[in-house]
Amino acid sequence: MPDDDTTRDAWDLLPAYALDAVDDLERRAVERLLESDPDARRALDEYLDVVAAFAVEQEPPAHVRDAVLARVARTPQAAARGTTTGVSATPAARPRRRWGLVAAAAAAVVAVAVPTTIAVQEHRETVRLEAQADRVAQMLADPDARLVTSPVEGGGEATALVSGDDVLVSAEGMPAPGEGHDWQLWVVADGAPVSAGLMPAASGGVSRALVEGGAGHVVAVTLEPAGGSDQPTTDPVVAIES
Amino acid sequence: MAIDPAGPVGHTVQVPPATTPPRSADAALVACVGADPVTFGPVYDALAPVAYGVSVGVLRDPDHAAEVTQEVMVEVWQTAARFDPARASARTWVATLARRRAVDRVRAEQARRDRDQRDLDASTATPVHDVVAEDVERRLEGAAVRRCLDSLTATQREAVVEAYYGGRTYREVAERLGAALPTVKSRIRDGLGRLRDCLGVARA
Repeated sequence: MPDDDTTRDAWDLLPAYALDAVDDLERRAVERLLESDPDARRALDEYLDVVAAFAVEQEPPAHVRDAVLARVARTPQAAARGTTTGVSATPAARPRRRWGLVAAAAAAVVAVAVPTTIAVQEHRETVRLEAQADRVAQMLADPDARLVTSPVEGGGEATALVSGDDVLVSAEGMPAPGEGHDWQLWVVADGAPVSAGLMPAASGGVSRALVEGGAGHVVAVTLEPAGGSDQPTTDPVVAIES
Repeated sequence: MAIDPAGPVGHTVQVPPATTPPRSADAALVACVGADPVTFGPVYDALAPVAYGVSVGVLRDPDHAAEVTQEVMVEVWQTAARFDPARASARTWVATLARRRAVDRVRAEQARRDRDQRDLDASTATPVHDVVAEDVERRLEGAAVRRCLDSLTATQREAVVEAYYGGRTYREVAERLGAALPTVKSRIRDGLGRLRDCLGVARA
């Protein structure tokens, strides 16, 4: 668990952050600092240069070039900032931060059996939550929320917490997607699957994701090549009628 | 005996091949934003060796490193608009993306092994990502940071190298080294600080 003075120590954590050697809560504390303090941003950029100085350039195998250029030819570029639709268009740092927030707010979900008894832990972080994590907190507090549980093919169990228009998916005990693969979420409305992003890496055996607008539709998970696909390329390991 | 300046000397300093000046990689990356995918070719040629070098350094397995390189370079194309040459060189930007993905892999693999290991006798458990000193020397061959590592104390160097090559959080580094958390945090902070000064990357 983080110390109470994690935020105050954020400056101290910049070097470890540059090495990707901090935990999720610390990462958030550092990122809050970075958003508000250009000097911290500059200091981080220097540390990132240091970390990059460990790199020894090496020519990758030729087939990688062909594969990349083929994918580039059919992959649209993301806008500089703001709204992106597919998760594939989102840089790695952002979903991590977002899912980190979601995971912290969602931690209570495994502790409850009956939705009406869901109590949200007052968490310091919720004060600054982004809209999405706010939404998760609302969902957890919603006395009318429903829980739907389904086994996952290949092992584990998926639970959907349905509140309003949204679905909070928790997958427990699912196998890792394996090298070069990710678990990807889909909302299937009228038989047409639409990507709802990748399942974040499991923490403590549980992986959680918020699927906005998923309620009333089927929420499914498939195994996809790393980074996700535009359309499912395998059969779902679980599909929940929310 | 005089050393022939043109001939090989005992401690040849390995300099990365200057095929592409760094700033031209920056320019190529900026130029591909909103442009035809064909413009990504030069970007790939300039920066894929960075992504692959980082991935091999962290993952060691060439096949895994090739997969990560592919993911990273597609990400570079997709998010090229987010590259800000005022903040970082293209090389640093790509190295950062590559390291993040490589470390994620190390951690996912470690988590999987941990799960598998639970069913086995704990005494047979072996850490997957041991950082071996000689191995580190080999991996650092040709890295800009190498000469500067000598400016670190032995404990600083150990903490930084464990965090870099082991893909570990500083908490895990502390557990592994049997050192106190604040101690390891300081070693990493002071170690990277010294490297920064030695490398002269400070933004005045």
